[in-house]
Amino acid sequence: MRAAVPRRRELTKVPTGVTGLDEVLRGGLPAGRMTLLSGGAGSGKSLIALQCALHGAKAGEPCIVVLFEERAAAVRQNVLSLGWDVRSLERNKKLFFLDARLNPEAVVSGDFSIKGLLAILEQQVKALGARRIVFDAVDTLLHLYNSATRERHELSGLHEWLLDRGLTAIMTVKSDPQDGPSRYSFLDFMADCVIHVDQRVTVQVTTRRLRVVKYRGSGYGRNEYPFIIGDDGIHVIPITSSVLQHRTPGARMSSGLAGLDRLVAGGYKRGTGILIVGTTGAGKTTLACAFAQAACRRGERVLYLNFEESPESMVSNMRSAGVLLRSAIKSRRLVVQSSMPEATGVEEHLFRALRALDELRPQHVIVDAISACERMGTTHAAFEYLMRVLDACKQRGITCIYLNQATGMDVVSEISGIGISSIIDTVIVLRQLSIDRETRRELMVMKSRGSRHSERFHEFRITSHGIDLPKA
Amino acid sequence: MRTQMLKARTHAGRKSPAATAGSGTYAFRLFVAGNESNSTEARQNLAQLCSTYLKGRHRIEIVDVLKNAAAAIKHRVLVTPTLIAIEPQRVVTLLGNLSDTRQVLAALRLNGNRP
Repeated sequence: MRAAVPRRRELTKVPTGVTGLDEVLRGGLPAGRMTLLSGGAGSGKSLIALQCALHGAKAGEPCIVVLFEERAAAVRQNVLSLGWDVRSLERNKKLFFLDARLNPEAVVSGDFSIKGLLAILEQQVKALGARRIVFDAVDTLLHLYNSATRERHELSGLHEWLLDRGLTAIMTVKSDPQDGPSRYSFLDFMADCVIHVDQRVTVQVTTRRLRVVKYRGSGYGRNEYPFIIGDDGIHVIPITSSVLQHRTPGARMSSGLAGLDRLVAGGYKRGTGILIVGTTGAGKTTLACAFAQAACRRGERVLYLNFEESPESMVSNMRSAGVLLRSAIKSRRLVVQSSMPEATGVEEHLFRALRALDELRPQHVIVDAISACERMGTTHAAFEYLMRVLDACKQRGITCIYLNQATGMDVVSEISGIGISSIIDTVIVLRQLSIDRETRRELMVMKSRGSRHSERFHEFRITSHGIDLPKA
Repeated sequence: MRTQMLKARTHAGRKSPAATAGSGTYAFRLFVAGNESNSTEARQNLAQLCSTYLKGRHRIEIVDVLKNAAAAIKHRVLVTPTLIAIEPQRVVTLLGNLSDTRQVLAALRLNGNRP
């Protein structure tokens, strides 16, 4: 007789419906198990749990939401403002909000248990045929117990109850990383999946992040992922920052300037990273727009992320430099997204950029200017933004042109300070000199990966009919 | 039972100046979970307390949440036992098996009374 081979049990997962989060969780939350979402006040953990509940309710997995802290009416209002139709889900018995706020004036005398809660849940689980359950602010319930042993005991009881019914559960719990190990760290052990959420304010810009701490029996993305609360819910921005996924550079194409093409062995390579660096007024935007104009004339699409000026002022400035963009904008071959770097946090900027990449499917992206990105928060935030945009472009085979404003004359040494030069393939330096009361513009190709290039400065002019770069 | 409870509440709402703490009729609604130990204890403790301190001026309604979950939802009863006491002037909620008699008496403002 053959010994029975133990069958490896595959972990079933249910999608959260939160954009990006399922990718991080490699498919979703563990089905029939408990997931813990911990984070400080206002970190967005409740909204993640709610979004998951609603997604389940819509996708044929009815859900019960137990609210220990907030009024059901207030929560309903919040989610309605995100455009989620909770009312029809409630009417059709796909979703049930249980107002489980405890009476703050209740007097405790002697031992008790959460049998009342379980009786309510038992009935509702049957009534809805519920598959998912959310406990929001479970710490509020645990506060009732003055003993750590009782807290643990009651929660294990609840955990067993959930497992017996095969419910996919999400518990949110308040935690403050500054407090050291949480009073409720036993929940971390109990849960099969633990996600920490936090909100930081650096230089007046709020950043939300999410990190999967553990996931029993499953792989998961191990980074900290930024997320935003958009007008339609949570969006997590997953990064698969693996250079292995980058596409190999494509064929050469014109830089928009015949003179420059000759300096870089025939033109820029498609799908590579190009950095144009120079002082104010050196002609960075003009050079980038000349490229955009040429690309659009070839029938290609360009996304221009502008942190310096509005599309209107860019178009009119460029017209006086002989670069005509209006018809490209009209035909939407060129899409200019202008925004103030400090208007939102870095993850919101990143989200917008990535969404535009997916929606517009451009062949080329221009970021003007990466020096302005520091105003999104910190240097680190700017670096992250730029890395991720470049990473996303390289995965999609999109050419990425970064403009950077150098503050001094010594532009060459400033480049290394940006920290992204290692994944930039071509660096073009522009400078403006005053010689005998005359302004002289010069251009040099400082780096051009995989090709021979000229290594000296070449003079050029910006005329009313475009950039004039004489033959070398 | 129900109408009697409501009467008690109406009376409380009027806040009669004559009604002093610890006097008047007490209406209790005790939420239990079947015959689990804390629920049984609470039932006994409440009966004991009533016969000692509130002879002839109390009413007790027992609600078993295992049989009547709707009542538990309505009164937001998450833990058992829960005692909702409608005393002449206010409504008091007590959680637990009511084993600490001194605390229960204080919460019901019966601590000045002699048995």
